[in-house]
Amino acid sequence: MHTPNARPKRSGAPIDYAGYVLIAPGYIVYFAFLFVPLLIGMYYSFTDYNFYAKPEFVGLHNYTRLLHDELFGRAVYNTFIYSLFSILPQMALGLLLAVLLNGKIAGRVFARASIYVPNVTSMVAVSMIWLWIYDPSLGILNRLLRTFGLDPVQWLYDPGTAMGAIIAMSIWKSLGYTMIVYLAGLQSIPSSLYEAARVDGASRIRQFFAITIPMLKPTTFFILVMSCINSFMVFEQVNILTNGGPLNSTTTIVHQIYLRGFQDFQMGYASAMAMVLFLITLLITILNFRLGNQGNDLDAD
Amino acid sequence: MRIKFGSASLSTVVLLLISLIMLFPFLLMIVTSLKTMGEIQSPTFSFIPKKWLFENYALAMSRGDWLRYFYNSFVVSAITVIFSLIFNSMAGYAFARLRFPGRNVLFFSVLIGIMVPPQTTMIPTFLMMKLFPFVGGNNWQGAGGFGFINSYMGLVLPFIAGSFGIFMCRQYFLNFPRALDEAAQIDGASIYRIFFQIYLPLSKPILATLAIFKATSTWNDYMWPLIMTNTEKMRTVQLGLTIFRSETTVEWNLLMAATTLVVLPLVLLFLAAQKYFVQGIVTTGLK
Repeated sequence: MHTPNARPKRSGAPIDYAGYVLIAPGYIVYFAFLFVPLLIGMYYSFTDYNFYAKPEFVGLHNYTRLLHDELFGRAVYNTFIYSLFSILPQMALGLLLAVLLNGKIAGRVFARASIYVPNVTSMVAVSMIWLWIYDPSLGILNRLLRTFGLDPVQWLYDPGTAMGAIIAMSIWKSLGYTMIVYLAGLQSIPSSLYEAARVDGASRIRQFFAITIPMLKPTTFFILVMSCINSFMVFEQVNILTNGGPLNSTTTIVHQIYLRGFQDFQMGYASAMAMVLFLITLLITILNFRLGNQGNDLDAD
Repeated sequence: MRIKFGSASLSTVVLLLISLIMLFPFLLMIVTSLKTMGEIQSPTFSFIPKKWLFENYALAMSRGDWLRYFYNSFVVSAITVIFSLIFNSMAGYAFARLRFPGRNVLFFSVLIGIMVPPQTTMIPTFLMMKLFPFVGGNNWQGAGGFGFINSYMGLVLPFIAGSFGIFMCRQYFLNFPRALDEAAQIDGASIYRIFFQIYLPLSKPILATLAIFKATSTWNDYMWPLIMTNTEKMRTVQLGLTIFRSETTVEWNLLMAATTLVVLPLVLLFLAAQKYFVQGIVTTGLK
């Protein structure tokens, strides 16, 4: 890497057998709880397994059943909607806040901490607080609406608003993450670029679009990949805030896996869902890499 | 000059306004936790409690065995942190510094893990823990007992090594000056000695970062304890909160008091070690 005296590749170089010893404990745990479950899950997805009797091989039956499962289709749709409408605003707002906080403005340390605090708070705690905010009769949102003479909204109990309410909360929670990563990206942009632009008389807005955005491409790409993976796993806030309702308007893929697997004990069927989820995440990650790597290589160093 | 000063203070006002919006839900949580139920239900709303009921906190903690929940969360987080520090740093060091056949393949397989979130494997992982042979009353076929269900082992084991930890440590050790190893090798120190006596003492920043990353994710985890435990004795604080809420009538003041106490340890940790929280995010993804 950075060391100029990096050892040249020699075929006769001694082998550090200690390497295997040092890697073993961590790697065994990693392998046992990542690849083994992945393989077992793949196997279960081809079986009918209710947890009490032995798994019975059923071929592709679980997958064909998935194709006709309207509830699962709804869950896939909801998960996509959730991802799209939480990632985009979160990235735009995160970038905006990062640019704002990058200057030497008084109060930026406090602001940075305040924006980031929701992210260190558990999803359960955050959900409890927002349940209270969204409470139909006593919650502060509806109290506010009433003082303005507006009709109260059944936030989490109305199929039209429930997903939006969950998304709003999730954006609030993970905004700090996007902001911090963008801040790190901004700090790696050489200031000479801005100086040159200033000499050329480019406006701040022009600088933002001509320097900041292109230079942040790897950062944006990284955030996009991570946010996609994370948002496709959305479960905790759904399970706590709405339990998938009302009228399945907020049920998601992981929520369906949880219900089918741990409440109906249809382990085989739920495993097939998990496999589909895995494939979707993989596909989106590959797609992101394809789009993100056009023209420039991500790992510059 | 004047214009510049004016815009700078305008930015400060904007920043403070944003901070206030972001902190508002937490402020609401705290003021609610101090009110009486009567005040919460009254048609007239005041943000600041009329009477500050600090006894709400004691009352909230008496609903359920909260001492036990906090103890469980603390123990599970501590064990996870300790083991993940040892295992991940050892593997990270080997991947960064040692030369052995298969190293790159193994490392690549570690990177794959970033794309396999635990949610996609929760069912088989649960079954593995449940059917683990010779534990929790299981026979060699994994039948007859409960395996690692309702045990600290079950809550800890899957999380003591992982892609992020290994990757983070490797990136950190890659930037160590090689001269250190070479000097030690000339003195005849073994690889293990070099790692434990030279590398580890110099890696406090990355260990702190990893410890905080692990402590946060373990303390905050909800899904895994939800699946792995079903007794009150093994409940963690996050599960405790959800139980609170599922009771017939929600006593918002007590629920908010309990939430405040669950959130508090991590917020304090964050305020004390902000640098490492940020480091964790930045080193895992960006150089």
